[in-house]
Amino acid sequence: MKKLVFALAFAFLALSGHQLFAQEPELSPERKQAIDSLALEKVRDLSKYVKLIGSKNTPWSEANRVIDRAEELFAPDAEIGVSSLAKTKVEYYKVRKYLERLMRLNYDRVEIDWYKIQYVSDLQRQPDGTYVGVITVFQTFKGYDAEGRLVYQDTTKKDITVYVKRKETQIGGRLIGFWDVMLGDMRVKETTHK
Amino acid sequence: MTKFLKIMVPVLVLALSFKVDAQVVGSLGDVQMDETELYTMTKQMSQFINRFNYEEDPYGKRLYPKDADYRSAEKRKDALPLLFDLDNPRTSGTLRDFFVEDLTKNNNQFMDFLGGDWFSEVSAKFIWKGKEVDISLIMAIEKEGLGSKWVITNVFFSEFQKHFPQGELAEREKHFLHPMSHELDFMNIYKVFNDPQIVEYYASNDYQPDYLTLFFYEIKQGNLKFDHVESVKFHIFQIQNWYFEVSWFNRSGYNSGWLISNLIYLKNPEKEVLIKLYQPKK
Repeated sequence: MKKLVFALAFAFLALSGHQLFAQEPELSPERKQAIDSLALEKVRDLSKYVKLIGSKNTPWSEANRVIDRAEELFAPDAEIGVSSLAKTKVEYYKVRKYLERLMRLNYDRVEIDWYKIQYVSDLQRQPDGTYVGVITVFQTFKGYDAEGRLVYQDTTKKDITVYVKRKETQIGGRLIGFWDVMLGDMRVKETTHK
Repeated sequence: MTKFLKIMVPVLVLALSFKVDAQVVGSLGDVQMDETELYTMTKQMSQFINRFNYEEDPYGKRLYPKDADYRSAEKRKDALPLLFDLDNPRTSGTLRDFFVEDLTKNNNQFMDFLGGDWFSEVSAKFIWKGKEVDISLIMAIEKEGLGSKWVITNVFFSEFQKHFPQGELAEREKHFLHPMSHELDFMNIYKVFNDPQIVEYYASNDYQPDYLTLFFYEIKQGNLKFDHVESVKFHIFQIQNWYFEVSWFNRSGYNSGWLISNLIYLKNPEKEVLIKLYQPKK
């Protein structure tokens, strides 16, 4: 059902949004909501990939393939900025490096869960006309040792940049407009929530 | 205590009652724990603006002009106090009540992302001549092309500021080049450079040091190197006769995230003076 809604939203955007990019200064609430759904779909994919990459049950080769998929969600120059309660200075990672670190974490078992709460900002246009927004989600992480003891846990707030660009493609000789959604920089900040 | 309850009861009712929360619909979540705190947290500055304007209902649903409750004065009156740091007496007392009253009386003042007169203060660490120093970068949203961008409008760095003290007027008035100096090929001009600490006394009365240019110069010279951002806050001048500051509160409980951390009643002429500090060239 979710897939159907997504497909309908995409079709609606693809067909009705034609040539809107240059003419429309403001997105209508309906179009904004449809774009939010597209953006959330990307974040949802990312959340699934992160769980798979972090899981110790995922074989090494499979985890590497998932990293490839996850990397494709992001713009090429996207970075991840990480800070914790103990270390407020932001450490920067390239997306691949960040995910590889997650894969190599030295725990015997890892639990990564996502909260239901999310917040999608308004979309603002940057000077070149690309829309940019931020989606906030929350994640819990638990790391266990060989004896099954919880040795590390945190809750992080993830603020993920979303770029939304109007693009056109030719299908059967006809120009069809569509909204291209790409993830950008992600800020990962530890919260006091446990 | 009564005032505290007046604030906290709606917070808890709001927090505990969300079942079909718009912030949850279609979410990626699989956590089965209490999420109330994260729900009440003002998670982004965008959300602060939406809550401030009452463009988001208590269940997290975005409100648009066609919605009956969009910017509702009555509902805004209940929502606004929740955007204050309740642990701070300066932002949880009578002044806050005046502010809310003032805003909702005519209910015609709202925050506007592209409306100007709001600034971000980015407190950062730099390395200056080998030692770690604190510098605040003042940023503003500027329209450009098809959209907008953040730009640096000023910097606060004590090492720059200390070289340009206001100085006593009487002392300043002692230092000048007389109006016939030109006839002597400015042979007296060496006096300007006798005491480097007061060289600016010989500039025009309109002269204002441009700290941003000094900052760029030091960066270009390689004397100043960026290290990291320590914290971010916002200064809002958009509401007539008021100034307030919004800071990030990373703490547990139902009063966290982006909240008003300082509030000052400020008449508009005084406000203009303050804005000049943040954006000298407007």
